Amino acid sequence: MKLKAKMKKDVAKVKVMFKSPMAGPEEAEKKKIKPEFIAHIIGKVGGKTVYEVSTSGFISKNPLFKFQFKGAKKGDMLEMTVTDNNGKVTSESKKIK
Amino acid sequence: MERRNFLGFGAAAVAASMVPASLVAENFRETKPKMWQAATSAEAIKDMYGTTDGIEGKIKLKAPKLAENGGSIPINIKTSVDLESVAIFQDANPRSAVAAFTIPEGAIINYDLRMKMRKTSDVTVIGKGRDGKMYKTVQKVEVSIGGCGG
Repeated sequence: MKLKAKMKKDVAKVKVMFKSPMAGPEEAEKKKIKPEFIAHIIGKVGGKTVYEVSTSGFISKNPLFKFQFKGAKKGDMLEMTVTDNNGKVTSESKKIK
Repeated sequence: MERRNFLGFGAAAVAASMVPASLVAENFRETKPKMWQAATSAEAIKDMYGTTDGIEGKIKLKAPKLAENGGSIPINIKTSVDLESVAIFQDANPRSAVAAFTIPEGAIINYDLRMKMRKTSDVTVIGKGRDGKMYKTVQKVEVSIGGCGG
């Protein structure tokens, strides 16, 4: 996971890239790999949810997401947690610059 | 016995509706498992929201009219309407649902993501506002080379 968060005035701008083949059942069969895609992403600052999305296998491979939110300040920790279709959970925290 | 069941149902429904909307963080994977299996946008949207109608033009959907690479189509959703959830659907892939956002209160709705499409089709973005109204935007995206590993 590559995570970048930056404050611009009072708005935090976040770019996040996940490593995942994003292969649904059909695509996995074609490529002869196990189906593996990100199913749920959640972003939190200080325990408060700022971003939440449920996804399917039709998001691009190694997907890049961008979003913005208010109510954070410099130095706050942004925590992104990703759950894939097999139930694997990955999370990463980063300071907002 | 039937009457008793009926009352029980009523109580559960009231309890569910009393939860303040702002506290409900929905994981659509868990709450709406059917929508992820639906083949067409219409079906998937029905599963999610119960209706396919919506006020058009309020949600701005930025997508290329002609996508050269169907494996990575940049999509941008932007709106000033206060939505509680918004979802993206297309008709090009075996299943329709692409992503469903749960929007925390006071969030800025300006989401960027990239999606895959096998062929040319309509992309539908539909959202439900905190005022209970539905909003939607449809745009056709032409794909010259199919994505999805094809």
